[in-house]
Amino acid sequence: MEDDILNEIVSSEDLKKFERLYLNESTTDNLQRGTQFNYAWCLVRSRYSADIRKGITLLEDLFKTEDSTNEHAKRDYLYYLALGNARIKEYTKALQYTRAFLSIEPGNQQLANLETLIKKKMEAEGLKGIALAGGVALAVGGIVGLGFALAKGKK
Amino acid sequence: MSAPPYSYSYIFKYIIIGDMGVGKSCLLHQFTEKKFMSDCPHTIGVEFGTRIIDVCGQKIKLQIWDTAGQERFRAVTRSYYRGAAGALMVYDTTRRTTYNHLSSWLTDTRNLTNPSTVIFLIGNKSDLKDQRDVAYEEAKQFADENGLMFVEASAKTGDNVEEAFVETAKKIFQCIQDGRLDLNATESGVQHKPSQPGRQTLTDQSPKPSCSC
Repeated sequence: MEDDILNEIVSSEDLKKFERLYLNESTTDNLQRGTQFNYAWCLVRSRYSADIRKGITLLEDLFKTEDSTNEHAKRDYLYYLALGNARIKEYTKALQYTRAFLSIEPGNQQLANLETLIKKKMEAEGLKGIALAGGVALAVGGIVGLGFALAKGKK
Repeated sequence: MSAPPYSYSYIFKYIIIGDMGVGKSCLLHQFTEKKFMSDCPHTIGVEFGTRIIDVCGQKIKLQIWDTAGQERFRAVTRSYYRGAAGALMVYDTTRRTTYNHLSSWLTDTRNLTNPSTVIFLIGNKSDLKDQRDVAYEEAKQFADENGLMFVEASAKTGDNVEEAFVETAKKIFQCIQDGRLDLNATESGVQHKPSQPGRQTLTDQSPKPSCSC
């Protein structure tokens, strides 16, 4: 049994199940956003970084194509983008996502917990300085003006 | 000196389930941080928390998966049920609809966990007395009919929160001692960790203390 959300591994049955749903809908040109999200959510919890990267790509695609008024969906994508990036040790990116989220919703405990976990992991790997140097550049993974995009929807 | 590799003897896996807005994350936060989270946005996917508790003289680490109540997460959160030793099923005492959905939560839980999984029903928000929408007796009867443990609790005041988490652990521990829960089964939701592994090489293994609670 794994100790936290950065180490937890999706079961291979689940990964296969949600992949099958995704592929079925993709090949019949009937891909639902929820199906893509569920598959991406499983991929970013894989033990293999190739899967995680694929999950990140799917989430970036969802984020970019989401209706700007759909705040809830965007929160979901951002959270799992942060988690996925942290799991492949792309800590700087991961923290940019958590910070973008927290700049809009400062009191969110779940995001604060994830950020603490990422920082702890970086510290354990001797990367403390990088966490601080990450800054607040919000052009991550092709998602430019992340904070702005979210803030706009908030009004 | 360095600490022993494990400061606990068992790990129990829990899940927290129930409709959105019933206060699952607030119950977890109250249990792990002993604080009320007043600003409680909807959980994204699943959240995780741990705490080490003492049951019958044994240190037990609870690994708690707090699932999002919103329907759109349901397909994936179901996979977290697998291998749970304890399931805290929560409704809101001030919103009857959340109570009415319990039988479907219970069916899901029974289908996706194993027969030894301890299910504990929590009626949250017991502090909001004026807004009560579900009578204690009614929920108690539902719990009895379905063999569930039950309390009304308040994540805000902390009332009965500790009890719900700890009583679940006591029941699981009892099942282990009675031999009703097989520790070697892959999906029992329980892991045994020798708390002082070095000791066994130095002295004879002392007999396990028996539980008197």
